[in-house]
Amino acid sequence: MKYIKIKNIALKGSMMVLAITLLSACKIVFKDGDVAVKPGNGSGTSPASCSAQTDGVNWGALLTENCTNLSDYNLFADSTDPTDNPNSGGIPYDLTTALFTDYASKYRFAFIPEGQKAVYNEHEAFDFPIGSVLVKTFAMPEYTSDRDGSELVIETRLLILREGGWVARPYYWETSTDATLAITGKSIENMTTNHKGEELTFTYGIPKATSCTSCHAVVPLLQGPDDTREAIFKPIGPKARFLNKDYDYGGLVMNQLSYWALQGKLESLPADLESVSHTPEFNDSTDLSQLNGEELNDNAKAYLDINCAHCHRSELTLPEPLYAGPAGGSGLQVEYNRSYDENPGKFGTCKVPVAGGHSDYSADVVPLNADDSYLLFRMSTNDERHRMPELGRSTVHGEGAALIRKWINNLPSASCSPAP
Amino acid sequence: MKLNKNMSHLSKVLLCSLISSSILLSGCKVTIKGDDDTEELIESTVDSIANGGSSDGSGSNGTSCDEILTTSDYRFPCDAIFVAPDAVDGDDITNELLLALFEIADDSVVVLPEGNFKVSETITIAAASGLTITGYGIHSTKLDFTGSTGDDGIRFEGGNDITARDFGVYETNKNGIKAVGANGVHFTYTATVWEGDLAESQGAYGLYPVQSQNILIEHNYAYGSADAGIYVGQSNNIVVRDNVAKYNVAGIEIENSNMADVYNNTALNNAAGILAFDLPGLEQAYGGNVRIFNNEIYANNTENVGHGAVSIAPPGTGVLIFAVSGVEIYNNNITDNDTSAIELASFFMSDPDVANYPVNYGATIADGWSPMIKNIYMHDNLIARNGDNPAGTLLEEVIAGYTSPYNSTGMPQVFPAIIYDGIGELLSNAGALTDFNYVVGADAAADGVNYNPYAAGDLLCANGNINGNPGPSYDDVNTGLVYGTNPLDAFNWDATGNPAASLLIDKMVNNTFLNCVQNRLPEATVTFKGKEYGCSGDDLSEPACAL
Repeated sequence: MKYIKIKNIALKGSMMVLAITLLSACKIVFKDGDVAVKPGNGSGTSPASCSAQTDGVNWGALLTENCTNLSDYNLFADSTDPTDNPNSGGIPYDLTTALFTDYASKYRFAFIPEGQKAVYNEHEAFDFPIGSVLVKTFAMPEYTSDRDGSELVIETRLLILREGGWVARPYYWETSTDATLAITGKSIENMTTNHKGEELTFTYGIPKATSCTSCHAVVPLLQGPDDTREAIFKPIGPKARFLNKDYDYGGLVMNQLSYWALQGKLESLPADLESVSHTPEFNDSTDLSQLNGEELNDNAKAYLDINCAHCHRSELTLPEPLYAGPAGGSGLQVEYNRSYDENPGKFGTCKVPVAGGHSDYSADVVPLNADDSYLLFRMSTNDERHRMPELGRSTVHGEGAALIRKWINNLPSASCSPAP
Repeated sequence: MKLNKNMSHLSKVLLCSLISSSILLSGCKVTIKGDDDTEELIESTVDSIANGGSSDGSGSNGTSCDEILTTSDYRFPCDAIFVAPDAVDGDDITNELLLALFEIADDSVVVLPEGNFKVSETITIAAASGLTITGYGIHSTKLDFTGSTGDDGIRFEGGNDITARDFGVYETNKNGIKAVGANGVHFTYTATVWEGDLAESQGAYGLYPVQSQNILIEHNYAYGSADAGIYVGQSNNIVVRDNVAKYNVAGIEIENSNMADVYNNTALNNAAGILAFDLPGLEQAYGGNVRIFNNEIYANNTENVGHGAVSIAPPGTGVLIFAVSGVEIYNNNITDNDTSAIELASFFMSDPDVANYPVNYGATIADGWSPMIKNIYMHDNLIARNGDNPAGTLLEEVIAGYTSPYNSTGMPQVFPAIIYDGIGELLSNAGALTDFNYVVGADAAADGVNYNPYAAGDLLCANGNINGNPGPSYDDVNTGLVYGTNPLDAFNWDATGNPAASLLIDKMVNNTFLNCVQNRLPEATVTFKGKEYGCSGDDLSEPACAL
């Protein structure tokens, strides 16, 4: 793999980090590089843990510190390459159907502390032990057709399970040697990739840390004036149905779930893998014309699940009772394990948009008429007023939109459908 | 700009203390001597600490934090966190604001600078507790989201007892200030504004609490939204008072929400002034106990450029009650609205395919949503000079009938000041909807949701309303019924046995129609930071609460 050098990208993010830090530390004297930090009462942190030399992953720092440099956590054997060779038994993984992020390639790793295991869940993200970190690196390929070819490594996002719950920390590869914490995110102009012969140029947005909750949190369905339950932060990808596929572990091709279990990192996996839910492997080379009706529905539901249902979900299989995604309240709820037939309205069928809407689209989904369907429009526009998902993309996923278009045009006719 | 190595080291070291050092200590002494822009940035942030919260940059000597008040007399606490206090008009303060709010300590007060600033992304705040975001005043701190890459301006996700106050949010791509899943929301002295002509492309909701509890919205200004200026959805225990909603599609809208008091507001120049809706298919399937009183609701005659659900609101509407039950509308001044003062519509007006409701809306009907409108009590409203130029697709045929000889009088009429569709009541009274009862879930049925003939407590009643029209047009203030509600009256059915629109009309003061009395509804109470607000809370002595 070859890296393209990134140059001349301002370090504003890091400076902002510095600024907020000053807010919280007391008595700081800084003269031309002369640094002295005297923590106030109760501060008690050991900044040294970020620079601790550890054989494997720097678990101590992960658990407590927001280190400036990604390399401080010592997650990878080569600290300049977050795409390969994880330390401490980190497992690379892949998803059957992935969230679209401007055609970026993604390198995912799960680091689970030695001797501990994640617990299998039939429908939801696995129950990880404290200290676990999910690492996802985003890289823009020069050609999307050649994802093993040259690429620009952009950002690495960490989801760390600390005592208080999951936290998200974005790191930006401002140079090719290390990535730095970018709490306020980053806009990278003139990002390019060649997709199917077309040169795409766009502004790539690294989400700010506070945005992570927009997709990763579920919020309480408050049950009365005395209900003060808080939002809960959750991973999205590592669910059985997305992991249930083969992966090439450097020559060993094996089902990911079986591999995790074999590595002693997953417990309670059903012995019969056939009984484990799985979503189809939809990607940019999926030939829609080869899908039969059932496969089309299956692909579309998987796509909606990973791209929309982190927000557009409510209750169903969430383990915490009376919680929903932040957009569950819109009435659009498109979890893969939700039955379309039982309530087509949850998938937007004939549902009038609650907030906003658009004059050209009469309902979220108009079966047999994708062109009148607001949901498809929202996937197909970059207008911030209407764009969905609202975060994480600056381009339109043509293949995903084509899938949803075909799905809508093959749904059973409904009351809002055009007359036959 | 390049960060030098030492600086990088500093940030690394300091960052490590971020988590546990969230307590802001007063009396910090911070000295920084760096170079270039970095220094400026740090100093601007640090100043606020060194000055004990003062934003004037004059240093700590002789400046007490107690002296800073917003234009609404809110006093910044001494440990307030000042965001970009030295920013000048036009500066983009997005990053400073994000950093200040990042995993912020409970009960923090974050102060936005005084002036006009750009914000280029959605400011998302998750699970904050006791957080106050304040500017220097509704006119003094202005956040301009023009060109933002995000949809909403400020968005609270979860959280308890959160406050936004004393600043304006301008030109967001979608919503102004949103809160979802929060318990305790206080929006006060904020402005949510989209300038220019009202157009579809403008923002959706100005103030937008949804799926939340204990919501206090007061002293705000909402202008130019292509949906609702102030919208409360799927929430409970709500007080909306002393706000101005101007030139939105919907001024103030209460949707699928319970226990809401809307009083002492002004709604003007919207397409529709104040609305209460229950929409199908939502998580909180239905609302009720909404009181709309002592509001000024006038000249809501702006074109309805909205889309989605709000598009049904006829322009020229004072109050629109749509598919919701349990609303009391009283002592409002409802004047100069070109279509009607009060419109009362079942969902059948929007979707007349009655036979297919169990199919098309079965799940939400099971949850308790109902197309019906029941138990509406309108009294002591001053109603004047409405109906001059009725419009709106929801009422298109109704308007055509009243303004031509094709109504019960055989003469063109000024459009009724109070107009009720009556269709749901007629069908219920005829027993035509009793099969819907089998669809209603047990919880909703226990809560009284049914499709039986209207009982006394279900009726829509209007009495004691005051005709404010001057002499010559005094007779133009009327109550209209699109469908008569008596199933035994053959006049209400056509030859094929379908309901026939009679377009009944008579003087409002005659009480020919809707002549009944309903029980008064109980007041809504908001509990925020342990204190009670509303007519049974801080407004015990407020005259409107005695009406």
